[in-house]
Amino acid sequence: MKRYNVLNSLWLGLLLVILALPLSVAAMEMEDCLGCHSDVDEVGDDLFIDEDKFLPTEHAEMGCVTCHESVTDEHPDDGESVSSADCLDCHEELGSEYMATAHAENASCSDCHNPHQVHGIEAVSGPDMNQQCSQCHEDVDVMDSHSQWLPQASLHISKLPCITCHTSAEAYEIVLNITQKKKKSEGGKGYRFSTYDDLKQYSNDKEIQQLIDIDGDNHISLAELRTFNKNPEYTDLHLSGTMVPSEVSHDLSTLDNRYDCTFCHASGPGSMQTSFVAFPTEDGRYQRMSVAEGAMLDTLYGTPNFYMTGPTRSAAMNIIGLIIICGGFVMPIGHGTLRFLTRNNRKH
Amino acid sequence: MAEEHQHQIYLQPIPVRIWHWINAFGIVTLAVSGAQIRFPEYITLLGSYKSAIYLHNTAGFVVAISFSLWFFYYTFVTRTMANLYVPKVEDLKTGLVKQAKFYFLTYFLGWDNPHHPTPDSKFNPMQKSAYLAIMFVMMPLVSLSGIFLTNVDPLRGLIVMIGGLKLLAGLHFLLACCLIAFIPTHIYLATMGRTPTDHIKTMWTGWEEEEEHDEKPETGGVTSGH
Repeated sequence: MKRYNVLNSLWLGLLLVILALPLSVAAMEMEDCLGCHSDVDEVGDDLFIDEDKFLPTEHAEMGCVTCHESVTDEHPDDGESVSSADCLDCHEELGSEYMATAHAENASCSDCHNPHQVHGIEAVSGPDMNQQCSQCHEDVDVMDSHSQWLPQASLHISKLPCITCHTSAEAYEIVLNITQKKKKSEGGKGYRFSTYDDLKQYSNDKEIQQLIDIDGDNHISLAELRTFNKNPEYTDLHLSGTMVPSEVSHDLSTLDNRYDCTFCHASGPGSMQTSFVAFPTEDGRYQRMSVAEGAMLDTLYGTPNFYMTGPTRSAAMNIIGLIIICGGFVMPIGHGTLRFLTRNNRKH
Repeated sequence: MAEEHQHQIYLQPIPVRIWHWINAFGIVTLAVSGAQIRFPEYITLLGSYKSAIYLHNTAGFVVAISFSLWFFYYTFVTRTMANLYVPKVEDLKTGLVKQAKFYFLTYFLGWDNPHHPTPDSKFNPMQKSAYLAIMFVMMPLVSLSGIFLTNVDPLRGLIVMIGGLKLLAGLHFLLACCLIAFIPTHIYLATMGRTPTDHIKTMWTGWEEEEEHDEKPETGGVTSGH
């Protein structure tokens, strides 16, 4: 019996070592690399990796050697230059789509996406997405060129990520971000996106998601949205909505249907069904939580500040409006009929 | 000229007539373009969505400016705004009931309109009340909400404070529906002069038949002026 237990313990110990071995090697490799590359004084600006920004990326989960496979244990003493993977090795479809555009002649993948900081579309905000574009496209030029033809150009530019119009993505969804009034110390007027720490001050010991997702079921109902929007404690917060493509496309040409506004504004209330609230995370990313279907169409309190002429019209409001307009015909029809029937009384 | 108008009174001066027709044309334009802006997948009367937006904004601007000129004219030039538009105590006590009784009962029996329009008293008590609501509440509010909706970005803080963009857009839409509903009522009442086109002609020429020269006048000054 005793021998049996010893054998068992040995097997279990061996199993744990086998399972933990690859993890520890991978962790060590990453640690080894970052040991030097996260210190700007040691490697210089060009080779510096911001650990805080790199570790939350999906690339970090793959480990350094997946992309830099030629690195040896003797690096950097071996004097060999380290290889870097081609983005298209993994992102073949998006990459070839991009390579066919005029953009590819002017910017490589890494000019827009720092591979040590990049996140998926779900984890970044609209302004974050636009930062890539504004590296080459000056804000003033963007405003000038859009003002020449786009109604409410500044509103469109401030509210939307560029890729909503400047990609060939055919479907989009609504993403709501929590924004808050700027303090005087932050330059006064307007609103800015709330950070995790900002929202923690409101949620105290609870998760920040519970500011809206009160029942904690990882889904936001219309009732929860209304409660958040009507809560007097949150008067400085408001949900700012934007439209982002449902699927990422790297065909950056502008399609004709974006020019005549029909893509968004004539898409009808059916296009407003899918929406999310993007909560900031501690590491500077965003995490989406789904919102009840059609919440964007609620008349007043679902999303009081997300209104797009056309698709967000409220059905209840339409019915009230129709009744009012029909009321305008009561006098001509009702009075007119009686007037016609009693016309002989007025023949003097 | 004097002979031509010897049995007529000059009821609608030129500035009022110009304002009226600019306003009428502007409101119809706003209604059609507004309908396309709200229901773009069903209404495409004005071509592209962008043209509807530009036309709506321009017509809104024209109507708001002409409203301001109308206000300026009656308040500072003729100084008759209060007299014409604000119901007097007597209007509220007895005038409203008397006028309603005429429209909904005695008119059908062939009785005369109790109100006889003059340049100083163009409107009957019901008109005064209706125009007070339209010109002093609805028109300013629909214009103001329109100005807010075309300047969302710079006025964001104020819009959030008053309850949000949807409340503002909803208010703009419902007020617009009220003003649209007024159009058929207004046109219908304008046909209740001595002849169906009498009041409409007055709003074009400015002159209205004097009622004392008319042996049995039917109605008078129902909706012919503002």
